[in-house]
Amino acid sequence: MTVSSNYDAIAQCNKCGFCHVACPIFRATGHESGVARGRLALLRGIIEERVEWNEEMEDPLFTCLGCGACTTNCFGSVPTADLVLNARAEYFEKVGKKPAHRLLFEHLLPYPKRLHLAARTAALGKNSGASKLANALGLLRIFGRDLPKAEGIVEKLPMVSFRGTIKPETYEGQGSDLKIGYFVGCGVDVIQVEAGKATFESLKKIGKSVTVLNNCCCGLPPWSYGDIDNTMVLAEKNLKTFAEADVDVIVTDCSSCASFLKEYKKVFSDDPQKLELIEQTRSKIRDVVEFLYTSQFGGDEDKQQEVMDSYHDAHAGTEAVQQVMPKDGKAVVTYHDPCHAVRGQGIKSESREILKSLANVEFREMAEADWCCGGAGSYALTHYDLSQKVLDRKIGNLKKTEADILVTSCPACMIQLAWGIRKHGLKTRVFHISEMTAYKEKVDA
Amino acid sequence: MITESFVKKMEEIVGKEYVRSSAADLELYSYDASLVGGKPGLVVFPGSTEEVSKVMRAAHQEGIPNVGRGFATNLSGGTIIRFEGLVIVLSRFNQILEIHPESKYAVVQTGVTNLELQEAVAPLGMFYAPDPASQKVATLGGNIGENSGGPRCLKYGVTSNHILGMKTVLADGEIVDIAGPALDPPGYDVRGLLVGSEGCLGVATEIIVRIIPKTESVITMLAIYDDVSNAATSVAEIMRAGIVPLTLEMMDNTIIQAVEKGGPCGYPIDAAAVLIIEVEGISTGLKEQAEQVDKICMEAGCREVRTAKNQDERELLWKGRKGAFGAICNLSPNYLVNDGCVLRSDLPEVLKRVKEISDQYGCPVGNVFHAGDGNLHPLLMFDSRNEKELEQVHKAGWDIMKICAEFGGTISGEHGIGEEKREAMKMVFSGHDLNTQQSVKSAFDPKNLLNPTKIIPLPPEGSDKLPDSPPTVLKRLGGAQAEGVVEAMEAVRAAVAENKSIRIAGKGTFNGLGNQLTKESVVIDSLKMTDFIEYDQDNQFITVGSGVTLSALQDKLGQQNQWLPIRPPFGTTETTIGALVATAEVGPERLAYGAPRDMLLGLQYIDSSGSMVSAGGKVVKNVAGYDMTRLLTGSMGTLGFITEATWRISTRPETSKKLTAAGTMDSCFEAAMKIVNSNLLAALVTIVPEAGQATLQVGFEGLELVVDSQVERCTEVMSGSGLNVVGAEPYPLVEGFLAPAFGSIWEAPFVLQADVVIKHGAEFATQLSQAAAPTGMVLDVAGGRIYAGFDALTGSQWSAIDGLTSKYKGHCKLLKAPEEFAKEHDLFGASRPDWRLSHLIKNALDPDTVFAPGALPGRV
Repeated sequence: MTVSSNYDAIAQCNKCGFCHVACPIFRATGHESGVARGRLALLRGIIEERVEWNEEMEDPLFTCLGCGACTTNCFGSVPTADLVLNARAEYFEKVGKKPAHRLLFEHLLPYPKRLHLAARTAALGKNSGASKLANALGLLRIFGRDLPKAEGIVEKLPMVSFRGTIKPETYEGQGSDLKIGYFVGCGVDVIQVEAGKATFESLKKIGKSVTVLNNCCCGLPPWSYGDIDNTMVLAEKNLKTFAEADVDVIVTDCSSCASFLKEYKKVFSDDPQKLELIEQTRSKIRDVVEFLYTSQFGGDEDKQQEVMDSYHDAHAGTEAVQQVMPKDGKAVVTYHDPCHAVRGQGIKSESREILKSLANVEFREMAEADWCCGGAGSYALTHYDLSQKVLDRKIGNLKKTEADILVTSCPACMIQLAWGIRKHGLKTRVFHISEMTAYKEKVDA
Repeated sequence: MITESFVKKMEEIVGKEYVRSSAADLELYSYDASLVGGKPGLVVFPGSTEEVSKVMRAAHQEGIPNVGRGFATNLSGGTIIRFEGLVIVLSRFNQILEIHPESKYAVVQTGVTNLELQEAVAPLGMFYAPDPASQKVATLGGNIGENSGGPRCLKYGVTSNHILGMKTVLADGEIVDIAGPALDPPGYDVRGLLVGSEGCLGVATEIIVRIIPKTESVITMLAIYDDVSNAATSVAEIMRAGIVPLTLEMMDNTIIQAVEKGGPCGYPIDAAAVLIIEVEGISTGLKEQAEQVDKICMEAGCREVRTAKNQDERELLWKGRKGAFGAICNLSPNYLVNDGCVLRSDLPEVLKRVKEISDQYGCPVGNVFHAGDGNLHPLLMFDSRNEKELEQVHKAGWDIMKICAEFGGTISGEHGIGEEKREAMKMVFSGHDLNTQQSVKSAFDPKNLLNPTKIIPLPPEGSDKLPDSPPTVLKRLGGAQAEGVVEAMEAVRAAVAENKSIRIAGKGTFNGLGNQLTKESVVIDSLKMTDFIEYDQDNQFITVGSGVTLSALQDKLGQQNQWLPIRPPFGTTETTIGALVATAEVGPERLAYGAPRDMLLGLQYIDSSGSMVSAGGKVVKNVAGYDMTRLLTGSMGTLGFITEATWRISTRPETSKKLTAAGTMDSCFEAAMKIVNSNLLAALVTIVPEAGQATLQVGFEGLELVVDSQVERCTEVMSGSGLNVVGAEPYPLVEGFLAPAFGSIWEAPFVLQADVVIKHGAEFATQLSQAAAPTGMVLDVAGGRIYAGFDALTGSQWSAIDGLTSKYKGHCKLLKAPEEFAKEHDLFGASRPDWRLSHLIKNALDPDTVFAPGALPGRV
């Protein structure tokens, strides 16, 4: 899809400028290249031949977080993030793609094992302080120019991936009928392994069986970079995995993956055969937040009450969470909405309802909770300075809540937020919502 | 021409990363929210006033046109540089520097958005009144450049009313602080001139804004109509009833459709029109007001009046209203918006004509506008990719401006002239009016580098002046036809021919104001200019000759239960309108009603060539051209002979009562500050100190029900501060209750008026008593103003007083001083840097110093 074919959508922007206020990047830079109105003006300039395809277009196209806040704030709902994404594809075609992206998208993401290996290499390098090695060999190196500055973001990498510990196969659960497929996103698989374990435990409580899928990357990273071809490769592999798995639902604890898996039809918009297959699996995809909510709170009232009671009688959280919880009294907890949950899937109240139901939690809403944290997948690694400005705003809002715990449901957000907290010297800990709900059995019973 | 060496120089000044020149960058800074496109040559992002100054100095040296801009949400092409020039982006000026809730002002950088300021002051219980619909994204720099309005300005007035001062960089790079946190500095109202000057006179980097305590309650109503003209009638009827709503906005069906399509905001999509009406004030009596509004609407054929049940519903309605322009993209890719202003009573007819024009040119129209102000916003829809449509829409826009002028209104109420409406200026101004405005511009920017090609139509090739033809559409009443004006014009010309200077007089009540004239002058008086030129009770304005006395005016208005809410402290029954405009004097009631600068809609005057010049008009919002009305207001007869003035007038409040209490100066001031900073909405708060004791008097003016409640609550505040509350009693509205105190001050040979930052009022008064021995004093607490009389004043005492006012960020003037003293001293104290600008203007408009030579502060 070329920029020209989006002319109508692009021309719909009448330059009112209301996107200025919503765009985290514009709020950080104040530069017109960093806001929907400006990005669209340039695309229109290209179509109307006032602007040329060259490197000058890189920043305007690639500094977009894709968070979609502009669209929400736009009366015409101009889908700038999608339009920019299409333009990225054309940018690669007309201006060229960096070899680093090629390595990641074509050679690592489609193959979980290779990714695990790369992550392990990186972990060795990073955790031993031999960052040069990590730079030379590892995962982090791939992301480009700002990497040397960005290296501090990821605190430490687990030595063993999630699926290195819990192999992709079917496990028995405590539930009565539901067969659950667990889609393990790359972030959970190689970095937020603890979150993955918590999710896995929760799913086992709910399902009759839990199948840890042998999926590969959902495809969002190459898609965000406008790399449609590699996105298709990944999506096709996953669709095949889904079709072969004997499951009723497919749950993932990465909101970004969930949001993208639900949107596979965008990738194959002109392939009717694929669309049919996508339609079949589409209805099975669940963000873990909505899954936890509906399966535990969304049932009939009696069951709901039962679940509520079980929560109330118990202290929330994994052991790591328990350590943060005050011995008596409640922990102050706040929530960060991942862009892909709140705007990508319309999930907002569910997470709060879940947290508010926990006995030892005092929930406190954070200002601008639905603003992008600047993580935006690998954005923090490619555009370090910008992403830090966005992050600083987020941490400023977090600080005002005085929360003990910050909860979210996207691994990339978790990395970014944890980094921001370290950088600003706060004591707040970041947990995945699964880690909060994976409660112990009744403690005081 | 931008050379490589100039780019290098810019990089040295602001740093390489803050200079952009790529084709993509230039494209990004080539547009605003209007249809005008430009072609900048270079974009810089300075980070400090000093950097702006250096950038502008360099541009000045090399003759490079430049424009300062914020986030470019301008609707008239005002921030577009047409030819290869320099764009100075102020996005890095994003700090709120100071907030002083107790003194009711804040200092902010100009790249801060209106909403950011609102959000910063809200937790302190304050707000900044102007609220343009674009407030989320529009910067305060842009707001002052355009003199923005917004829904709330129906009650609180436009941006200019709320700007106290600014730090501005002039065309040659000079940094100048204009005015300050204290009210009404001496010299011309330069800040008034700069507000609305669309970046053509300077680039402001910091501004001092007035902030106001938040009102106690607000009721938001949505009146739904099946017929647009019934909505328009309701607007006129509500205002006629003497209600001053906070907002009175109209949206027609097309706009409702566009807004609701973007997301439900609570508007019924089958309505022909809706009005958003808000009333605010103290809780007592507010419900009754809302009921009255409801009744008026229903009687005018309204289908239903709904009341917003909570803050969420209210915010949703406003989200729809304020996002209406953007929402047009749900119906059409582009829109052209006009913002002409007409009299409220003409709205039904004007809306009909707008529809006809829309049909004629085939551009669908939606109307969303400030109905209470008569400020239209017809949004003409089209697709800019279609050249025919583009051409048609411009024609339609032109015709709509013509209609507004034809109905006696103006071509722009708040969006500015910019590039788009420049040629339409001829519809409402004569060639001579425009040449006069251009000479002000030239005084500030002789090389014509600041935002060139904006506002004033370009003169014909080979000439630097426009031909002196009358306005092509607008017919102004009065002018040279009014009683006594032709004679005055002749007298001015005769004096000029004989090389004599002129002192203008009314009845002689204010002749002492200003420095002693340095040249023997012919006196020309306004006594024959006694015409009541136009009085429109429904639209609440009156145009009168400058020889009409204030008391005659009040009598006339009183017959219709209206008045001009000004009580000049030292005025008499003989004080003329001319004197009131020339001195801009106002008493402590300014707190409730504003000053002459806020109430004057327009005026006409005879300039130093003996020709008539018109400024402003008769509609309540008018940003067509430089604000010559404010420039002339308070100009003390030094710029021209004001022959007539058009005032915005008010309905008389039902009752006026004062509450008196006595105690020490400190406890009086403590109570007064509490009252000023509460949401009690006092009309005036004054302290009269007398030997060891002080009397606090607070006036309330309004509905009896409300006033009684205010008095009750005020009594509590006074008692709480340990004052002895004497009690409440009514006072005559027009005369007020301070005449005895002011009268006794005026008996002294020296009379001082000093302004300081509000919170230092008492401190200043105490120190003033130590510096000299006042015969009497009145402290206008809410205005931070002190009036004092002195039997004697030495030169050193005078400089001590002047120094004191500077210490408290204020200024002073002697309204009255014996001749011998005036001969030796500047009656405005030691020279201030910004007075230079007054002299610059004086030289441009009166190059031969015909009027009142030497009267200006900082006499030469």
